[in-house]
Amino acid sequence: MRGNRTTTSCALALVLTLAGTLTGCGGDGGGGSGGKVSLRFTWWGNPDRAARTEEAVKLFEQRHPDIDIATSFAGFDTYKAKLATQAAGGDAPDVMQLDYRQINQYATSGILLNLGEHPELRTSDIDKGLLATGVVDGKQYALPVARGTETVAYDAALWRKAGVPAPTLTWTWDDWADAMRKLSASKATQGRVGSTDPGQSEDVFEIWLRSRGKSLYTKGEKLGFTADDLTRYWEWCTKLREEGAVVPAEQTTQMDGTVENTPLGRLKSVSDFNWDAPTSGYAPIIGEGLKLAPFPVGEDGTPGQYFKPSMFFGASAETAHPKQAAQFIDFLLNDKKAGAILGATRGIPANDAIRQDVLPKLEGFDQVVSTYQKQFEGRLKDPPPAPPKGDASLQSTFSRDYDQVSYERMSPREAAENYITEAKAELRQ
Amino acid sequence: MTATATRPPDAAPPATGGKRAPKRERQGAAWVFLSPWVLGAAVLTLLPMAVSLYLSFTDYDMFDAPRWIGFRNYTQMFTEDPRYWRSVITTLTYVVIAVPLQLLLALTVAIALKSVKRGKGFYRSAFYAPSLLGASMSIALVWRAIFNDGGSVDNLLSGMGIDIGGWINKPGWAILSVALLTIWQFGAPMVIFLAGLQQIPAELYEAAAVDGATWWRQFRSITIPMLSPVLFFNLVLQMIQAFQVFTPAFAVSAGKGGPADSTLVYTLYLYDRGFTASHMGYASAMAWALLLAIGVVTAVLFRTSRAWVFYANDNNEGAR
Amino acid sequence: MTTAPITTTAPAARRRPTGRIVLHICLIAVLLVMLYPLAWLLATSFKPADEVIASLKLLPSHFEWGNYSTALDGVNEVSVGRLLWNSLLIAGGAVLGNVISCSLAAYAFARLRFRMRGPLFAFMIATIMLPHHAILIPQYIIFNQLGMVNTYWPMILPKFLATDAFFVFLIVQFMRGLPRELEEAARIDGCGPFRSFFSVILPLTRPALITTAIFTFIWTWNDFFTQLIYLFEPEKFTLTLALRSFVDASSQSAFGPMFAMSVFALLPIVLFFLAFQRFLVEGMASSGLKG
Repeated sequence: MRGNRTTTSCALALVLTLAGTLTGCGGDGGGGSGGKVSLRFTWWGNPDRAARTEEAVKLFEQRHPDIDIATSFAGFDTYKAKLATQAAGGDAPDVMQLDYRQINQYATSGILLNLGEHPELRTSDIDKGLLATGVVDGKQYALPVARGTETVAYDAALWRKAGVPAPTLTWTWDDWADAMRKLSASKATQGRVGSTDPGQSEDVFEIWLRSRGKSLYTKGEKLGFTADDLTRYWEWCTKLREEGAVVPAEQTTQMDGTVENTPLGRLKSVSDFNWDAPTSGYAPIIGEGLKLAPFPVGEDGTPGQYFKPSMFFGASAETAHPKQAAQFIDFLLNDKKAGAILGATRGIPANDAIRQDVLPKLEGFDQVVSTYQKQFEGRLKDPPPAPPKGDASLQSTFSRDYDQVSYERMSPREAAENYITEAKAELRQ
Repeated sequence: MTATATRPPDAAPPATGGKRAPKRERQGAAWVFLSPWVLGAAVLTLLPMAVSLYLSFTDYDMFDAPRWIGFRNYTQMFTEDPRYWRSVITTLTYVVIAVPLQLLLALTVAIALKSVKRGKGFYRSAFYAPSLLGASMSIALVWRAIFNDGGSVDNLLSGMGIDIGGWINKPGWAILSVALLTIWQFGAPMVIFLAGLQQIPAELYEAAAVDGATWWRQFRSITIPMLSPVLFFNLVLQMIQAFQVFTPAFAVSAGKGGPADSTLVYTLYLYDRGFTASHMGYASAMAWALLLAIGVVTAVLFRTSRAWVFYANDNNEGAR
Repeated sequence: MTTAPITTTAPAARRRPTGRIVLHICLIAVLLVMLYPLAWLLATSFKPADEVIASLKLLPSHFEWGNYSTALDGVNEVSVGRLLWNSLLIAGGAVLGNVISCSLAAYAFARLRFRMRGPLFAFMIATIMLPHHAILIPQYIIFNQLGMVNTYWPMILPKFLATDAFFVFLIVQFMRGLPRELEEAARIDGCGPFRSFFSVILPLTRPALITTAIFTFIWTWNDFFTQLIYLFEPEKFTLTLALRSFVDASSQSAFGPMFAMSVFALLPIVLFFLAFQRFLVEGMASSGLKG
């Protein structure tokens, strides 16, 4: 019995030691020590982006010995949940990386700082069209970091073997569909299908709409299309799916947002719709043959694709150091050295001057992406403003409703009506 | 105390006898033992629960202040949301498949391991190994590969002339592959069964063996009754956890609940409503509806437990 | 009182050797099926990038050791050693907390009488029934108010306050299986509830306590979501959290290194389980209840 008491006291001692360790850890995390200003900066991304960001942050800290930046990152999906929890808990980080779809929600809920009021933050070099996407109710709540655009990534070697004409800057949706049919039918593709099913992607739908002169949302933040438009789109996709020009439902349902789990990444198709930056993930899988093609245009030649701000930087309205936060964002966006360090890790820079500096120095796949973007210079229409509040879940609703179509549980018409009802409820219209 | 042979702890507060001198002291002692739990339950559990109950009556998007809307979330859930009811049915399907099979497998292996003399530690560790993983992203990818078109399961079955194809992308089969992931990780109930078997006094078996009782007879009259508190525990907890299943479905369907919503289990839909669609009020209402449903099922289990769960201490006390 | 171990004689132990061989064959057959996915996991950690997802074959075409070297480089300038230590700190603290606080609470529920025992017990069971996503935000606010965000407290403090009702209930069930005479005897010897808890009940509940320790360790180790929400600085990240950062939907992922990292993250819990599973056997074999 004495043995037991010794165990207990040992355990207690351990608890106390542990408690000491933990509080020690906790102490230096929070507010600055010794007059130093401490900022928290969060973003999503991969280890490569982490390394470059860290290097840029170090440079900033060297130049501003009185400012201390604590960084943190996560994968995109988990980042969204984490940031929402932090924001709801009144604990949003001082500086945060934001997605197009978060801007409106975060701005109108008073979480973001109006950066327009901070002259430390220069915006003169940033692309005007992109800059406007960070404006909500006339205030600049977020600044675009980089730009991306959609692309059709494809295996050019297989494409050539199948004898299908190469994509051009002006191919139409019909040209695209014909190419997909030929690819699927060709023996050279060894049973691989032409493309990912465009029906599951709201992004592709948006570009299809734009190439027909419409848009996802109107300027008044209402839906910019009707159930008829969506029905037509999904009927078209269904036809292609039934013809075998695009992958069947069984393939589509396995997509999880990563490049590796797309039909092209799993070697089930010859091409895929995606944003340009992530397509670098195809390189190790497909190899040399990987090429990027523009999106098809409308019958009258209207381009649907646009330069989209791939991400933004914003600051918390609650931050104790708005001036320093603005300085830091300014550094990340406008400083030449920072630009050189960061390269294209967040996409091709939105800052015109930095872009001119960075482009020639890009290596590997970044070079492919920048060449791809160059052909659109001056050809594309302005990006739409940030999607309205309530839109956050509609992307997944879109693919979910299409899932019902592709598994033949609903007709395109039923699913489209469903989507419109749900979208109106989400947007509170 | 009363003469009831078995009494679940929640069934009734102890009858106040008041004849024992140390009763007051024991009351005080009980609160000392309970103090960490009371503090934790009040601050970290009751308070958040109260907040979520309140939120379930509001329109709350996590960003703006919650707005009181009465029972609107609940009525919408029950009457206007077909996806909600689909998720209820999916969850029930999962519970009915996963809980009995997992418990049966865990119990069988635990009893078999009790009979094994050589390599006990090896077997125990090997059977537990899958449970070490949880439903991590890597195990999800493995699962998706094994149950895919042309994956190991498909190859095996088509070799036997059964042509199903991939399970993870067939609406009727996907939930089964999710359930199999849970069943595969039966280590936790197995270890609990093992610990319970360990607690059965060896003398009981020795006495029975002397009386010439068969293996089956010993199993029925000693193992099962003596193991019943643990069996009951596993049943209740596995059931509660099964109703709340999240990670296996999230992992296998990459968070989407597909194909065609066929793995969109209750809490996955709750997560989708709360964190993806920012309808935290609605998600809270879903949580409370689930709590009530599980509460009813658990209460029923506790009621029936009086008939088949045997507690040594109560029995002894009752006999005295 | 814990003298002369009595070996547990299971009924089947007296069966003939053929029976035992059949039993072994059955167990091994089941094991082979069960371990197949683990073999897959291990094999995938050696696959080159183009085979990790696309290939449906078990074995890689050639062994890619680079996955491991990438994983062992750590993430975001934090070494694997540091990540490992962080994981151990959290899991260790959680084990300690759960074993202490849950056994205390369980003893009160199982063996002591007090006002409100029934309702409080029912409430405790009810706390397991609410999906934790629903109370995530209120809890976050509380921890934020306490200044504990970005520390390990949100992962450990709840364990010291017995909020894991699963384990309280587990230990309750085991304690209720112990004969009442034990405490009666202890009381006659002059033991109060504290003495009989520490010297009589606790040693006899060892299998349940070991079970609690093992499960807490593994579950805390794998609890990705809580760590994600509460930890901010990469220096405080755990292995489980770090292996997620190899995958990002908006850029290029590194599935190969992620598999390598998850094999690596598995090692400590395997070791922990191997070390502690032995005590599961030794627990009650030497109880000497009536002997």
